[in-house]
Amino acid sequence: MSADAWASSDVITDGWRASALRITAVARRHAYVLQRAPQRWFDVVFWPLVDTILFGALGVQLARASHGGHTAVGGLLAGILLFHVVFQAEIGLSTGFMEETWDRNLLNLLVTPLRESEYVAGVVLFGLGKLAIAITTVSVVAYALFAFHATDLGPGLIPLVAVLLVIGWSVGLVVIGLILRVGQGAEILAWGLLAIVMPLSGTFYPVSALPGLLQPVAHLLPTTRVFTAGRTVLAGGAIPWGQIAWGALGAVVIAAASVWWLRRSLAAFRARGSISRHV
Amino acid sequence: MGTVAPILRASGLVKRYRRTLAVAGVDLEVMPRERVALLGPNGAGKTTTLMMLLGVVTPDAGTVDVAGYRLPRHRSEAARHVGFAAGYLPLPERLRVREFLTMFGHLYGLVDPRRAVAAGLERFDIAELGDNMGNELSSGQRTLVGIIKATLHRPSLLVLDEPTASLDPDVARRVRSGLERLCAEEGTALLVTSHDMLEVERLCERVVFISRGLVVADGRPSEVASSFGVEGLEEVFVHLARGQA
Repeated sequence: MSADAWASSDVITDGWRASALRITAVARRHAYVLQRAPQRWFDVVFWPLVDTILFGALGVQLARASHGGHTAVGGLLAGILLFHVVFQAEIGLSTGFMEETWDRNLLNLLVTPLRESEYVAGVVLFGLGKLAIAITTVSVVAYALFAFHATDLGPGLIPLVAVLLVIGWSVGLVVIGLILRVGQGAEILAWGLLAIVMPLSGTFYPVSALPGLLQPVAHLLPTTRVFTAGRTVLAGGAIPWGQIAWGALGAVVIAAASVWWLRRSLAAFRARGSISRHV
Repeated sequence: MGTVAPILRASGLVKRYRRTLAVAGVDLEVMPRERVALLGPNGAGKTTTLMMLLGVVTPDAGTVDVAGYRLPRHRSEAARHVGFAAGYLPLPERLRVREFLTMFGHLYGLVDPRRAVAAGLERFDIAELGDNMGNELSSGQRTLVGIIKATLHRPSLLVLDEPTASLDPDVARRVRSGLERLCAEEGTALLVTSHDMLEVERLCERVVFISRGLVVADGRPSEVASSFGVEGLEEVFVHLARGQA
C-alpha cells in the first residue's frame, strides 16, 4: 500500500478534535443501526404512539366520568410526554451499549483509543436524535387526536426536561454497569428499572394517590418532583422552582452515583476478564 | 548510539480467575519490526496474555508498556500504536464494510479515512466487498476486513489472535501474504497467536511458547525446536500439549 494513502489523511490523536471525531463516529454507527433495523423503531415511534393514544383516551373517559373537562386529558398526556423524555434518554443509552454486545463488537471498541466517556457521549448524542423523534411523535399525536399542546407546560418544560434527561442517562449508566458485571441477563433491566420508577414517581397522579407505605419512597425520587412540578404548571400555577431545584439536586446525586457505579463496574469487568462473555 | 526501545514490554504478568491461575508470570518484549508468535496449547494462557497486553484485562500483578505508555493509565494513548484483530470476531451486522472501516478509521484519528480504507481493501484483494453488509461475508472475508480495520492507522504493533483459524488454505495464504507485505512496507511489528505451526514458521522470526501460564521457550523457530530435541514447532507444540494435559 502506498504511503500517500495516509499522507493525505489528516491524523489527529489528541485534544477535543480527536474526541469529537470519536464521539461522532460512535453516534454515526448507531444511526446506521436505527436506519437498518426496523424493530428499533418500536421504542422510538411505536410505543410513544401507542402510549399517547392509550393515555389520551383514558383521559377523555375519566373527564367524561368525572366532568373533569380537559384537565384529566392534559394531566395524563403531560405525564406520558415527560415519561418518554426519561425513558428515551435511558433506553437510548442502554440499548446503544447492548447493540455492541449483541454484535460482539465490544472487544473491537475496547482496543481502540476510544475513551469510555467518549463512547457514552457518542451514544447520548445519537440518543438525543431518537428522543427528538419520540417526543415529536407524542406531541404531534397528542395535538392531532386530543388537542393537547405540549407547549401548555410553558418555559417550565425546559428545566423539567433537563432534569429528566440527566436521570434517564443515569439510569442508563446503571444498566450498562449491571450488564458489565453480570452479563446479558441484566439486559431486561433496561426496560424494567423505569417500570418500577414510573408508578412510584406519580407520573400520572399525585403521590397522595399511592398506598401510604410507598409514599415515603416516592418522595425520595427526583422524578416525583419533576412530575409534580409538571402538573402544577399545567394546572396554571407558577413554575415551582423549589420542586425543580430538589429534583435537579436529586438528579445530580444520582448522576454522580451512576458514574461511580459504571467506573467500578468497568474495573470489575477488566479484573474478572469478563470480555470472554462478549466474544 | 542509543538503544532501540521495545514497542511492547510486559513484565511479570499474573492473572488468576477464581481458582485457575491463567497466567503465572509472563515476561515478553517485542521490538519494532519484529514478527513474534505467541504459541501454546489451548488453556495455556495465550489469549489472557494478549488481553492484558491490550489493556482489556487488568493483570493481578505485572506491568505492560506499549510504545512507552504504561497501561492502564495511558491505555488510550497506547492504543493509537496498536492494531488488533481476531479470527473469531464477527462484523457488526448492520454496517457495510466501508462504514465499519470508516468508523474505526475515525476512532483511530483519521479525519478522512476513505483512501486508507480503499488501500486496505486493495491490499487484501477484497475491494469489491466495500459495499457488502457485515453479515454477508464469509469467515475468511471477515478476517481480512478485521485485519484491515486493525491496520488503517498504520500501527507500530499489530496483534492478531488466531487470524487464520477456520480459514481455507487459499484465504489463509492471502492473509499471510498480506501481512508479509504490510510488515515489509510499513515496518509493523507483529504479535500473533496461531495453532498452525507451518504458518508460524513462514511468518514469524521468533516464537514464544507458553504452557501453564509460563513462558517455556523463546527464540528462533529452529532454535526452539532443537532445544526440545525435535525437528519442528509442531512437535514442540504436541510435546507441551501432552505435558499440560
